[in-house]
Amino acid sequence: MNEFLQQILNGLAIGSVYTLVALGLTVVFGILGIAHFAHGSLAMFGGYLTFVFSTSMGLSFFASIAMAMPVGAVMGMLIERLAYRPVRDAPHINAFIIALGLTMMLEGGNLLLFGADQVIIQTPYQQVFDFGGIFVAQLRMVVIVTAVTLVAVVTLLLLKTKTGKSVRAVAQNRHAAVLMGVNVNFVSSVVFAISSALGVAAGALIGALLALAPGVGESFAVKGFAVLILGGLGSLPGAILGGLVLGVSESLAAGFLSSAYKDVISFLIMILVLLVMPQGLMGKK
Amino acid sequence: MKFKTPLTLAALVISAALSPAVHASEEVLVLGVNDALTGGGAVYGLPQANAVQMAADEINAAGGIKAGSITYKLKVITSDDKANPTEATNSVRKLIDRDNVKYLVGFCCSGSTSAVASFIAKEDALMLVGNAAERAITAQGIPNVFRTRPPADFTGSAAGTFVAQKGARNVAVIGALEVGFYTQYVDAFEKELNKVGGKIIAKEAFGLRDRDMTPQLTKIRGLKPDAILVVGYVEPAAFVYRQAVELGLNVPRYGFTSGSEEQFLKVVTSAQMEGVWDLRPTELTIEALGPQAKAYDANYRKKFNQSPTPSSPYAYDQVYVLKNAIERAGSAKDAKKVAEAVRTLPIPKEAVMKYMANDGSAMFDQNGQAYTSNGAFQWQKGKWVFVSELPSDNKAYSQFLRSIRK
Repeated sequence: MNEFLQQILNGLAIGSVYTLVALGLTVVFGILGIAHFAHGSLAMFGGYLTFVFSTSMGLSFFASIAMAMPVGAVMGMLIERLAYRPVRDAPHINAFIIALGLTMMLEGGNLLLFGADQVIIQTPYQQVFDFGGIFVAQLRMVVIVTAVTLVAVVTLLLLKTKTGKSVRAVAQNRHAAVLMGVNVNFVSSVVFAISSALGVAAGALIGALLALAPGVGESFAVKGFAVLILGGLGSLPGAILGGLVLGVSESLAAGFLSSAYKDVISFLIMILVLLVMPQGLMGKK
Repeated sequence: MKFKTPLTLAALVISAALSPAVHASEEVLVLGVNDALTGGGAVYGLPQANAVQMAADEINAAGGIKAGSITYKLKVITSDDKANPTEATNSVRKLIDRDNVKYLVGFCCSGSTSAVASFIAKEDALMLVGNAAERAITAQGIPNVFRTRPPADFTGSAAGTFVAQKGARNVAVIGALEVGFYTQYVDAFEKELNKVGGKIIAKEAFGLRDRDMTPQLTKIRGLKPDAILVVGYVEPAAFVYRQAVELGLNVPRYGFTSGSEEQFLKVVTSAQMEGVWDLRPTELTIEALGPQAKAYDANYRKKFNQSPTPSSPYAYDQVYVLKNAIERAGSAKDAKKVAEAVRTLPIPKEAVMKYMANDGSAMFDQNGQAYTSNGAFQWQKGKWVFVSELPSDNKAYSQFLRSIRK
């Protein structure tokens, strides 16, 4: 029982990172219909930036993230304006190809700027708590709490503010929203800003809990898409639930089946869901 | 050029005829370094290439290689194989066909090296392998292939004996088990452990890119091992050591990872690393080796402005092996004759690594394999400390190697 609970707890921390990544992907996909594959690499850039702020400027972990998030938001808006907007009305495949190209550019940029060695963001949260045999690392708790907070903030933003209302309107029906006077260009920028800010936070958490290195961003982007499919494309609650489910499933599969298949689990789940429940756990039919 | 008079012509002819008798002729001998100079393997390949250059410069400064009446000055050319088998094949082909290289050194990485080993027997060349640990490279017994680095399972057996002596009987293994030589290390380790009645209770895997090994470690924790063995690349291994502490897995941790203090401290604190063992070839460990090693370390730092990596001397020693073999053979023209000289060569006095002699005090055994000593290192207060040598029997291993093909 102990082992089972420990695996679940371990999985929740990774799962909350998946949720953050997926949230960034789902807002862009759900509202703008773009499969923003480059999100993973942008998240990595945000993580590296957080590392630079915390080491060269001596800022605390959260202060560094707070400084990196606006930078990420601006980069996201630039990407939207320069890379995706020109193909907004073209076939979706064009946007996907651009996303792939962007991924390569960002990965290359990260490699040039930050090198190939792995980078770990040091944090002061190094304690470990023992609850009767179940060990909880303080850092994992911090990751979960941070992710939950950010998700709550974004949800409030989308549900309670006027901007959020405009965003939801575009998600429901873009043409009608235009007719109602919503500035779609503004909404696109806002969506990318939110998505990229979330991505930066996810990257920073990955950098603190695990490590930033070439290739890590892409694998998180793929897992992010698996979560989207699991939770339902465009569904926020779906991204939240899906992320946690994926994290815990990976942990349980590696712990009780085989560690060699840890990554395979995410793909298996994707395939199963697409076969049995194509709209995802919380998607609309 | 117009010969003004027959006298000038005669003078020229006479002086040309006299030259060889006045001083020995000098030739340039090209050494081809084939290694991973870029990409993931460069951490091993680049330092090897540097070491070869350093050795060549030293030899040239001391007058070159004197074989018979010819003095050879070494010229080093490097070729990048990116630790990729296809690139390695092309790279060596170019060295042999285009650059007429007969003497190939370097070879840090197993995948690319194995690809070259698969065709080198047919070539008029001599191949000296460095850091690549895959056993099959020398198990095949190719006459013109020699390796300065011992196969991984040679170290694995020694490690198994050591851990068994420490009293462990239920060991859980976690490692990069899809990589051939790590599995070979574990298999050899297991054999020794079984001899004293111990067993391996789990074999969990992780990949080069993995950073979260808590599921595997949680599973291992549930099995209640009395020790864990971590085999794999330093970057993920560091996470294993940290996460083991975070999960309350308080048993002795043995490893086969190599890696400098800086590489570990990026991920795990010194307190969390305290007591971790690394059971590997002694390689370049100043306190375990002699004055040769100290000189190598100092010269390398001066020449390249960085410290030498622990495995770089495998390539440095290759050059001195060649030097001594060519001098013994009397000429560098016939790669086959030089190979025969290498086979019976005693350990060169210039060698940095500590080699264990084979039959007839030869450096290499029947399969062209040399054996360096193995050591037990322990993390003590922020540094890797050499504790003792691991009991290793290279003669027994050599017999075993002769009996297999891979």
